[in-house]
This record gives sequence, C-alpha cells and structure tokens, in this order.
Amino acid sequence: MNIRLGTNLISILIFAILWEVAGRTLDSVLIPPLSKIGSAWLRLLASGKLLDNLMMSLGTLAAGFFLALIVGILLGVLMGRFREVEHFFDLYINGLMSAPATAFVPVLILWFGLGVESRIAVVFLFSFFVIVINTLTGVKQVDRTFVEMARSFGAREIDVFFKIILPAAMPAIMAGVRLGMGRAVKGMVTAEMLLTLTGIGALVMQYGSAFATDALFAVILTILIIAMITMKLVQLVDRRLTGWKAEIAIE
Amino acid sequence: MRAEVLSEAKPRDAERSKDRMVEIQGVSKSFHKTASNSSTEIQALANVNLSIRENEFVSIIGPSGCGKTTLLKIIDGLLSHDGGEILIKGRKVTGPGPERAVVFQTFALLPWRTVLANVEFSLELRHVPKEERAKTAREYIGRVGLAEFENHYPHELSGGMQQRAGLARALAVNPMILLMDEPFGSVDAQTRQLLQEELLNLWQREQKTVIFVTHSMDEAVYLSDRVVVMTPRPGRVAEILDVPLSRPRAAGDVRRDPRFVDLTNYIWDSLKKAMENHH
Repeated sequence: MNIRLGTNLISILIFAILWEVAGRTLDSVLIPPLSKIGSAWLRLLASGKLLDNLMMSLGTLAAGFFLALIVGILLGVLMGRFREVEHFFDLYINGLMSAPATAFVPVLILWFGLGVESRIAVVFLFSFFVIVINTLTGVKQVDRTFVEMARSFGAREIDVFFKIILPAAMPAIMAGVRLGMGRAVKGMVTAEMLLTLTGIGALVMQYGSAFATDALFAVILTILIIAMITMKLVQLVDRRLTGWKAEIAIE
Repeated sequence: MRAEVLSEAKPRDAERSKDRMVEIQGVSKSFHKTASNSSTEIQALANVNLSIRENEFVSIIGPSGCGKTTLLKIIDGLLSHDGGEILIKGRKVTGPGPERAVVFQTFALLPWRTVLANVEFSLELRHVPKEERAKTAREYIGRVGLAEFENHYPHELSGGMQQRAGLARALAVNPMILLMDEPFGSVDAQTRQLLQEELLNLWQREQKTVIFVTHSMDEAVYLSDRVVVMTPRPGRVAEILDVPLSRPRAAGDVRRDPRFVDLTNYIWDSLKKAMENHH
C-alpha cells in the first residue's frame, strides 16, 4: 500500500515536471505551464466561482447516481431472482447498455425540459445499466450449494435472500456500483455541456471557447479530482462490505 | 396404497421400530432432463430399502452416478422423491428438519463469514439468542480442534480445517442424525485418515446416527457398523454388509486386521459384480 502510494506520488511528480517544462519551452497558449494552471485554480477558488458551480454539479451527480443505485440494484435483484422478470427486461437492458447514452440526451430534453430534472436523468442513464447488469450477474452466479446448505439448516426464503444471495452477490454489485459511479461523473459533465450550461461543465465550455486555457485546465483537473474522490469513496464502502473478497470486476 | 401397508405394519413392528432411526422404504427418484427438443427421464434411484438403527454408523458406497448423494439429499428433505417413504423415528420426511444436519462434500462454508460466524450460521437460522449462539459455536469449534482459528476466513484454512468447521456447524445444532456427503473426498490422504479417526472419536462421544456417503471402500469399512453397497444407475441396494470389527478402532491396527482386508476385498468384488451386471 505504501509502495503503491509512493509510486503514485512519484508518477504525479514526474508528470507535473514534464508538463511544466513543456509549457515553458513551447510557450504556447495551448499548453499552459502547470504553475499558471495552479494560479488560475486559486483565482477561481477565491472568486467562489469554482465552488458554486461544483456544488451545483455535485447535487446533480448525487441525485442521479443514488436514483440509479436504488432502482438499478432493485431491478437487478428482481431480474436475477425471477426468470420472468429477467426475460421481460433483458432485451432493453442489454440494448441500452451498449448504446451511447449521449444519443438519448435530446429525448430527455423533450421529456424533462432544460432544468435540473434533465441533468439528473442523464446521470441516471449513464450509470444505471452497468449497475443493473452487474447486480443481475452477481445474483445469478451465487453458488447453488450455499443456498442448498442454508435450506438444509432450515432457512426460509427471506433468510436465503438476506443471508446468502445478497452477501454472495455483493462483490459483483459493488463492481457495478464502482463502474456506475465513474459513468455518473461522465454523465454529469456531459449533461452540463450539452443541456443548459451549468455547473462545472459550463465552466469547461466557457473557458474553452474563450481560449482561457489556464482556467480551462484548472477546471478539468478539478473534474479529475472529483472523479478520483468519488471512486475512492465507493472503494471505501466496497471494502467495508466485501473486505472478505479480492476485488473483482465484471463488465 | 403404500400408506395403507404402512399403517398396517406399524403396530406389529412397534417394538422393533423403537430403535429404528431412519427407515427408507421403496424410495425411487427420477430426474427430467430437458434438452432443446427432447425430454428424457433418468432414473436415479429404484426401490431403495434401508433401515438404520439409532446411533448406528452406516456408510453408503457405490460407483459414481449411482445416486448415493441423491439418496442423502432425499433423506435430508432437500429433494423430493417419486415413490416410497422416508421415516425418521416413524415420522414422514417432508423437508429439512432440526434432527438432521448435513456435512457437505464441498464444505459449503460462506466465504464472507469467519469460522465462528459460519458455525453460528446454523444456530442463527434456529433463532438461538446471540450470546448462547457464540458460546455453543465456540464449544464445537473447540471439539473439532479449531479453537485458534475461529476468527479466520475459510480461504485462509486448509481443506481439512474447512471440513472441521463444516462438521462443527452440523454438530452445533445437536442433530440426532448426521448426513455426510463424501465429506473427506477433497482432502489429501493423510488428512483424510486423521479426520476419519477424529470423526469416530466424536461419534463415540456424541451419540449420533451417521449416514456416510463415500466411494472409498477403506473409509467405509474403517468407519462403519454396516456398509451399504449400491448398484450403478438406477441405484438400488445391492448388498448390506456388517463390519465385524470391534470398537474403538485404532486406524493402523484395524487396517491390518485380516477381517478388514477380507471385507474390503469382498466389497470390491461386489461393486465389480454390480457394475458388470449393469453392462
């Protein structure tokens, strides 16, 4: 763990130095040196502009993601437990899973308008399917002998579900949640750039079209940091729930 | 019709059935195997009859696919059967019950639970209060020699140790009947012998009826009071053999006893005959 952290830091350091050197030698507006990006970031922070927009974005992210989480796990479990439910939905789920979610943005605008509802819907759409599919897979892959063992010791259906199916499927569910989290961040920025210009996505568009590259990169770095923090949060929850198992990922 | 025969037979056999723990009467079982366009029926068991006394140790041996595991699952009530009846102390089996507990071939330990929590699982399902649960679980974990490993996860343990935990989980609910499905089939030879000895020690102390499915002749003879030899599919009882060896049995001595050698050879011939008749 410490070795990993150390290597990560060294990697960041080398990358930062290379960037700084490249920025200074090329002296182009296209690649501003890291020091300039840093001061732009501080400026944005001090003006409150970054934080205000960030809060707005995170609100959308949380709403869309938690909606996807709840509906996704619920539907995935039902599909995994009941073959009829699975066959009723799997056509659409599989189709929409691989379809580019961006293509549905115009439809969402028609349905939900240009307000926050639409942005939440985009975040939901981005992260929902991968959560459903991983939950479904996890529930279906539960070892039959565990269920048999539980029944043999007198488990009722509700015991089988809460004491066997759910914990056994948890690693796969959490893998879906992790992937869903990443996609939710993508959905958030996409929505803010394609729908009404709001939040952190608006800042990207604004500074991008104004060639304010130092501020643009500052915003992009912020997005990267947000993505990393949210992933870390999911990982922490994951470790609490499935610490017994080495990490697995299904997509 | 069968029920009538039974009720008629009951009063007459009342005296004898007192020490009969398990009665398997004319049990048959078929599976439907459905391929894409055809449905075939496979008969796994055909008219199996067997009666097991209280505290008896009975092994069921047979070639793979003879339905011995199926029979065990039927006795446990996990599987239904087509014909005949299973009686436990005179009462019909309709599903799993608290007087029976299974030790599984693949251990079936829950990987997200520690040894302690795994042993507690069987007690949890029976709504034993938390403190009593831990106390009872620890007691049996101690008896199978895992006291130092109660906080380990299954994957941290060897196969032999995992099966000890599986045994503790079954014993913890204090069943009258232990159903063991090739429990030592996936551990190495030395561990296997050790576990066999320990099982006999436990069995002698705990007073349980044991039905032990195996494909090892050596194991069947060493452990059992009687060995049931089954035919290949559909499984029937080919022969029931008494093991004439006194207890307690010291592993090394017993295996050199000519009666042990004779009986193992006899079972080998019996199995061979059963398989030849099949072809």
